[in-house]
Amino acid sequence: MEPDVSIETSCMIRIAVLPIGEITPSQFRDYVSMLDRHHKIDLSTINSFYTEHQKSPFSHQPWESGSLRFKFMIGGSPPSPWEDFQSNRKIHAVIGVCHCPSSPDLDSVIEQFQVACKPYSASIVHRCFAFCPADSQLEHDSKKEGSLIMFPPADRQTLEFHLQTIVQDIAASLLMGFEDWVLKAESGGTILKTPLDSQASLGSEEVIKAKKRRLGRAQKTIGDYCLLSGSPVDANAHYSTALELARLTGDYFWYAGALEGGVCALLIDRMGEKDPAVEDEVKYRYNSVIMHYRKSFIQDNAQRVSPLSFELEATLKLARFLSRRVQAKEVVELLTAAADGGKSLIDASDRLILYIEIARLFGTIGYHRKAAFFSRQVAQLYMQQENRLAAISAMQVLAMTTKSYRVQSRASIAKNRPQSEIDSDQADNSKMHHHLVVSLFESQWSTLQMVVLREILLSAVRAGDPLTGWSAAARLLRSYYPLITPAGQNGLASALENSAERLPSGTRCADPALPFIRLHSFPLHNSQIDMIKRNPAREDWWAGSAPSGPFIYTPFSKGESTNSCKQELIWIVGEPVQVLVELANPCGFDLIVDSIYLSVHSSNFDAFPISVDLPPNSSKVIMLSGIPTKVGQVKVPGCIVHCFGVITEHFFKDVDNLLLGAAQGLVLSDPFRCCGSGKLKNVSVPYITVVPPLPLLVSHVVGGDSAVILYEGEIREIWISVANAGTVSVEEAHLSLSGKNQDSVISIAYEALKSALPLKPGAEVTIPVTLKAWQLSSVDLDNLNRNSHGNVARQAKDGSSPLLMIHYAGLLNPGESSAYGRRLVTPLNICVLQGLSFVKAGLLAMEIPAHVGDNPPNVAQMDGGLTEVVDRSESKNDKLVKIDPYRGSWGLRFLELELSNPTDVVFEIGVSVQLENCNDKNTDLVDGHIEYDYPKTRIDRDYTARVLIPLEHFKLPILDGSFLIKDYSPNAPASSKSPSFSEKNMKAELDASIKNLISRIKVRWQSGRNSSGELNIKDTIQAALQTSVMDVLLPDPLTFGFRIAKSTTKVVTKPNSAEESDIQNKGSIVAHDMTPMEVLVRNNTKDTIKLSLSITCRDVAGENCLEGNKATVLWAGSLNGVKMEVPPLQEIKHAFSLYYMVPGEYTLLAAAVIDDASEVLRARAKCKLPDEPIFCRGPPFHVRVNGTL
Amino acid sequence: MTSTACFVIVSRNDIPIYEAEVGTAPKKEEAAHEHQFILHAALDIVQDLAWTTSAMFLKSVDRFNDLVVSVYVTAAIHTRLMLLHDSRNDDGIKSFFQEVHELYIKILQNPLYLPGSCIKSPHFDTKVRALARKYL
Repeated sequence: MEPDVSIETSCMIRIAVLPIGEITPSQFRDYVSMLDRHHKIDLSTINSFYTEHQKSPFSHQPWESGSLRFKFMIGGSPPSPWEDFQSNRKIHAVIGVCHCPSSPDLDSVIEQFQVACKPYSASIVHRCFAFCPADSQLEHDSKKEGSLIMFPPADRQTLEFHLQTIVQDIAASLLMGFEDWVLKAESGGTILKTPLDSQASLGSEEVIKAKKRRLGRAQKTIGDYCLLSGSPVDANAHYSTALELARLTGDYFWYAGALEGGVCALLIDRMGEKDPAVEDEVKYRYNSVIMHYRKSFIQDNAQRVSPLSFELEATLKLARFLSRRVQAKEVVELLTAAADGGKSLIDASDRLILYIEIARLFGTIGYHRKAAFFSRQVAQLYMQQENRLAAISAMQVLAMTTKSYRVQSRASIAKNRPQSEIDSDQADNSKMHHHLVVSLFESQWSTLQMVVLREILLSAVRAGDPLTGWSAAARLLRSYYPLITPAGQNGLASALENSAERLPSGTRCADPALPFIRLHSFPLHNSQIDMIKRNPAREDWWAGSAPSGPFIYTPFSKGESTNSCKQELIWIVGEPVQVLVELANPCGFDLIVDSIYLSVHSSNFDAFPISVDLPPNSSKVIMLSGIPTKVGQVKVPGCIVHCFGVITEHFFKDVDNLLLGAAQGLVLSDPFRCCGSGKLKNVSVPYITVVPPLPLLVSHVVGGDSAVILYEGEIREIWISVANAGTVSVEEAHLSLSGKNQDSVISIAYEALKSALPLKPGAEVTIPVTLKAWQLSSVDLDNLNRNSHGNVARQAKDGSSPLLMIHYAGLLNPGESSAYGRRLVTPLNICVLQGLSFVKAGLLAMEIPAHVGDNPPNVAQMDGGLTEVVDRSESKNDKLVKIDPYRGSWGLRFLELELSNPTDVVFEIGVSVQLENCNDKNTDLVDGHIEYDYPKTRIDRDYTARVLIPLEHFKLPILDGSFLIKDYSPNAPASSKSPSFSEKNMKAELDASIKNLISRIKVRWQSGRNSSGELNIKDTIQAALQTSVMDVLLPDPLTFGFRIAKSTTKVVTKPNSAEESDIQNKGSIVAHDMTPMEVLVRNNTKDTIKLSLSITCRDVAGENCLEGNKATVLWAGSLNGVKMEVPPLQEIKHAFSLYYMVPGEYTLLAAAVIDDASEVLRARAKCKLPDEPIFCRGPPFHVRVNGTL
Repeated sequence: MTSTACFVIVSRNDIPIYEAEVGTAPKKEEAAHEHQFILHAALDIVQDLAWTTSAMFLKSVDRFNDLVVSVYVTAAIHTRLMLLHDSRNDDGIKSFFQEVHELYIKILQNPLYLPGSCIKSPHFDTKVRALARKYL
């Protein structure tokens, strides 16, 4: 059997084309390609080369329209035993092709050519083409012989023209040769035999039969030559004769042959016509051809030769003819019949050709699965031959079937598709439509696919093509791992390894093996390197970029987000980025990925490879990183993987489709699910833009980034160090606070950052921040109590800490439309622990009577003014508690705070009071403030302690009506106009003064060495003071003081000892002596007060000792009802004398009744009735009367 | 006498959703693969033939060597029941196909069955094999 047969084969002249001398295959192919164009030579063109030596036997030669057809047999072909039966099987001419520069000796070329021509005994014309001869070769005399034809070097067009002429010459020679042959045959004398004819010596009967048949066979052969000569009409005539003769002699084989020739003649004659009648005729005749070939089957030599191949060839010819007319059903029937016939073919190569032809014909009518089926049969036949070349053929044939079985190598897909399609595929990696996904998995007949891939692998191994083998094993393993046993998977893995060993390192393969890779996520920038689009129109360029408000979704921002349907991502030149991918190894062996990195085709990204080891049936999320190198777009279609010794590209899209298919039930298994990895949202590769470098600030808290643990109210300063880790300097930066508990940040050194700008790359700046821990709410406390103590981390994480935000940016280029700045968010991690807690607060009053001395202080300060510094040498700490015994303290009030310490550390409480120093001469402190510290109170853990805060220093120097009048005279016409206003005003002033008072009291605590803070006691104090604030704040209208008149002091002084002198210096009183004394009355108001003063003296028993029958003190001067008038803010002395008869302790009291009291005084005294007398009482003064020494 | 019979249900997407070797011949994997190759190749012919007739049972549509492919095409979603056999029992095959079709419809009515995905029901498998023993 011969390949590529068709009905027209009968009219083709076979010409062997042989390489002569030294010639490289590529050159030979090149020359042959020139020759190949001339397979059809019109008779009209050879007219000039044709000379009619005798009368042509082809009387109906169509010189105008006819043509000769050449079939170039490249490399020649072995002689066929059927040459007599079908003349077109003969080689009629031999053409040698010689490349002169590589074979300089033309004589030897001619010699070789002649040797090469020897086997082709039937050939009529011999020509040797010598291309590119040198000048010396051109002069060679052998060209006169005619068989060697020189083609002088020329351009291609000239060469082709030259060649055409020569071919036409050959055609003419052939035509003349055929004429000769026919004339010879007609005269009789040729014996035509086929292998079918009995080789045994012929019996007499047989000889007679053979003689009869000879004529018919000669007619048939002449018909063949007519056909070859391009004269179908002549051929038809001869065939008709032959048919008659063959029928008569029962020579069915030759009958069928003649019939076949007749059909060919018919077709050639009717070339170009589309007549359905011709088609029917051809079909009818060919069916009879097939039938007659079958009839000619002779049982006795069936073992040796059989006309079966001719029957099959005829079937294929008809099928080919019909396939051009797309008569699929008939073609299928014919081919099925041919395939059935193939079983009985003896020669394996015949069967090979048959199957090849069947596959081709099925392919022509579009039955690709059928074609693939027969191709596979062909491959199996090749594989049976067990040699390398056959294995290569098998591999190639199988490669052709891969498309039908849907197991193509990706390399072949890529080759067949236009580039634009691939691009769009890669660009559009968002959603795929359902039906598209389904179409991806169409015809996935896994059993067949696995078999085909295994066969490709086998043939590749046998053919020694490691790359194809690798690719097949990779496809097999990747797509069908669920159907392969672990042992089989291991086998494939070792097949991959073995193939890779034979490949040069760095080989790339289009088909990925394992692992499966899908995109996991693009980690968002962490808050440290957050990027913000700059709004160049605004000074605060970051405003509006971040979502404002508590809602994730806002209807106002919706419009923008729909415009860009795809997620966008911004990468920065020079800053490493990370992409998380998930790898899965669903197979039963350890998978070692030598390196894996992101595949980016836009050449502006440096990806960093990493190696991964995946245990059997496992999946792993890994982070792949890289650095964008240039501004522009970046597309990440997949990963490049170096695994099993070969580099492959894995596309995310493929795995996405696979997973979609698995979800539809179209694919065997989801590799990620079978590795135990959960279902993941389909992550699409966002649209990535690379922008120019930005500065990058990195912050850390000096001393560690862990949470600062503070007790409630604790104050601490921390330092935040900010460094520029980028490559661009920071040109502008803005500090702000956000988050909860912003008020816990007392101060930020804004200037520290501002003054450091521009912050060059690598530069660092430290920003001090003062923090004060907030109070825990009751909920927090509950939480704290519920959790065992020390669950600090949880508390720090719950987001109650304030955030320090720095918006910063580099230089804004004026041309840039979309510039970016950055935001650095530094959480000030504060963990607040429960500190001291209040139990209660109260106001205590205390009275300490003063001693009367000779050197009393200023009365103005006696009862509410400053506690005078008695001795400069005394330490300041003592000042507040030390009460001068000669002045006493009357109406001293303490704020008592009861604090409990639930913590496990010791606290020390210190109270300090800040005072406005109204007494100018004492100011030696800055800002007119004096601070007094009380000794520290220590509170042990789990104890409760009280802290006293003296409130003695807050009395106003003047009793001013502004507070009181309006309050207590609501009916006054002056205020009736706007009572609510004045009332409000008054209250506001009152509140202000209370606040002022409170703000001056600071309760500080200290615990350990470095935690200290302040208790927030404002509310408590306010609550405690609310009722008695008047008493605390306002001075009495009159203050009284006693002293010994100076003139007598010296007399009693007796400097005995230091102690005594001390006492005497203070002025002691001796019994039985007239002691001149003075009472000082001070008016604290702004009005003149008229009053009547009374003085009493009591002994220790509290009896009045000035009056009555038991009076022990004699007196001179007036003591009762002394009328006096005190000018505003002045004091008046009133002198008197006392004579103590009994030594001991006495108490002097001064009291006054104010006449014509003003509203202010009435208000201060809180008297209800308008005419009630106002009584003022001074504090008691102690007088110690010593006995006579 | 041993018989070969390979039964396959091919979904609309040309994916086999059910495969069974129901013949009495001893099972060989190689042979099973060959059977499936023949069935796969026959799809080309079925594809054309299905549009030329209104009958669901297409009888034998293809053959290779001694094996014949009979096909039954369902109306609803173009699922093809294909049987590769070496016996010539058209009536039995037709009954077999009709009953398997009923079973297939029951499978389709399962709300948990995704049309076009593999039929993994062991019950279905048992029934089909029983039918094959009965008719083929």
